[in-house]
Amino acid sequence: MIIQAHGLRKTFTTRSRKGVQTVEAVRGVGLDVEKGEIFGVLGPNGAGKTTTIRMLATLITPDAGTAVIAGHDLLKEPAAVRRHLGYVSQAGGVEDTASARAQIMMAARIHGVADPGRATAEALDRFGLTELADRPGRTLSGGQKRRVAIALGLVHGPPLLFLDEPTTGLDPQNRANLWDRIRQLRESGTSVLLSTHYLDEADALCDRLMIVDHGRVVAEGTPADLKREVSGDVITLRTDQPGRAAETVKALARETRVDDDLLRVYVDDGEHTLPGLLRALEEQGVSLTSIALDRSTLDDVFLAKTGRTLRDAGAAA
Amino acid sequence: MIRHTLLFTGYELRKQFSNPIWPLFGIMQPLLYLLMFAPLLRTMTPGGTTVDALRMFTPAAMMMIAVFGSLFSGFGLIAELRNGSLERYAVSPAWRPAIVLGRVARDMVVLVLQAVLVLVVAIVMGVRIGALDLVLVLLLMAATGLFASGLSQGLALTIRDENGMSQTINLFMLPLMLLGGLLVPIAFAPDWMRLLAPFNPLYHAVEAGRALFDGRLSEPAIPIAFAVFLVLAVLSTMWSMRSLRKIAG
Ligand SMILES: Nc1ncnc2c1ncn2[C@@H]1O[C@H](COP(=O)(O)OP(=O)(O)OP(=O)(O)O)[C@@H](O)[C@H]1O
Ligand SMILES: [Mg+2]
Repeated sequence: MIIQAHGLRKTFTTRSRKGVQTVEAVRGVGLDVEKGEIFGVLGPNGAGKTTTIRMLATLITPDAGTAVIAGHDLLKEPAAVRRHLGYVSQAGGVEDTASARAQIMMAARIHGVADPGRATAEALDRFGLTELADRPGRTLSGGQKRRVAIALGLVHGPPLLFLDEPTTGLDPQNRANLWDRIRQLRESGTSVLLSTHYLDEADALCDRLMIVDHGRVVAEGTPADLKREVSGDVITLRTDQPGRAAETVKALARETRVDDDLLRVYVDDGEHTLPGLLRALEEQGVSLTSIALDRSTLDDVFLAKTGRTLRDAGAAA
Repeated sequence: MIRHTLLFTGYELRKQFSNPIWPLFGIMQPLLYLLMFAPLLRTMTPGGTTVDALRMFTPAAMMMIAVFGSLFSGFGLIAELRNGSLERYAVSPAWRPAIVLGRVARDMVVLVLQAVLVLVVAIVMGVRIGALDLVLVLLLMAATGLFASGLSQGLALTIRDENGMSQTINLFMLPLMLLGGLLVPIAFAPDWMRLLAPFNPLYHAVEAGRALFDGRLSEPAIPIAFAVFLVLAVLSTMWSMRSLRKIAG
């Protein structure tokens, strides 16, 4: 176990002209990450992902809770914890004027890497940055900066890497590329804690994940387990009479959910349920505008646990 | 600890000089003051020559570079607060005060280079100064700069906003300059200003600098200035190191 955390809490107080406001950013989050595992924190904007990671990275002191990271107590031995970490923040931490090479070299030196020059060259090479290495940080594109950011967090070969929303702002190809690199980390034995608000990312990349919302853990497990828990498939119907349709198909479904003119029907085996479901609707005279059959996704898990879809939750925050 | 401070100092210096045009501009400013302000001042010094004016103005110009050059150096920290690199260093095993101390040390190095240049120009223009006086002037200037640089880093970490920071600095700048007798010696000032002047630490630095340029080593202004600025430098540097805790916000 490389991270064992229990009951982490953090409340922020902000003062503005409108008076003092308190935000309960994290309210009792616990997580266990195994050595060599990619563990995901999935949640909408404002869920408390960054705050959780920053607490674990020794940047902010939790109001309550305990954590042991790489065998060291987070509160009592923060310096020892830091020695085992690589940390890539949501902002990235790439400086404007210094070159990528200078920044990575400096990071290697600070971490006391034996041969900083070689470690830097290797990190640059690993992330395809050799060509860009001597350009000032500010001249790099968003995706290039991301790669520099991750190289900065990895140059000293930490056993544990924190990645806060590592693929935000990347194009699909660079995203897939980065996923591959993160998977390679797992092969080399590095444990990764990453946060994301992309369902596909959590699904494709993580060995295990937790879903957070409003500072609380709403679900935890492997992506497959979580989806199985909701059910195998989801049939989405668009109709003028969603209430009536829900009533009709209730007997065939594990669960139904109405959202405006949208009816989601959760079933174990979509392919075989669909014909019967259509027949029943026809008999009741419910007309459909559209119909779709999908494997259930992590969004359905989120929906089942919080009553909102991840997309709506993000927009509201 | 010392290793990390040196690492950060070297890193910051390399950044500073990677584009030598900016430090060069920084050096131009005090030179321009010397070349353009001293002749102006000459007309105000009774029976004065350019050398007399320079002897009075050069120490002021040096303190001016020390304070106002360094006061703006904290802006770099605000950018790094925003792009997350400060946070990155805070999570590294770096000895945290080194992050700030490296910057303050960088400012000292730049200051000494600027000071040497100003002195060379002043000497070329005819000013004469003893070796001991010269070393003391440089030390005094370094202490002044240390204070201003520490203050600037602390302000940056506390205010965290470029706009707020420049307004704050500007607010203090003019009164500090005029009440310190930097541009026009305080002897020309009305009574109330002369009463206020001793409360301005810069006043002591400039008085001491002028005494040193005149070779009046026994002047009490010199130990007073050193005492004031050593205390202030220690305080401001400690404050800026403590402000680092606010990195996480
Ligand atoms: N320094 C701070 N001061 C005050 N409030 C804060 C601070 N940092 C975070 N918050 C608040 O805490 C809550 C959780 O923020 P956090 O950054 O952890 O969310 P997140 O899950 O990382 O979201 P995102 O996906 O947008 O990055 C938000 O409501 C945010 O406004
Ligand atoms: Mg975040």
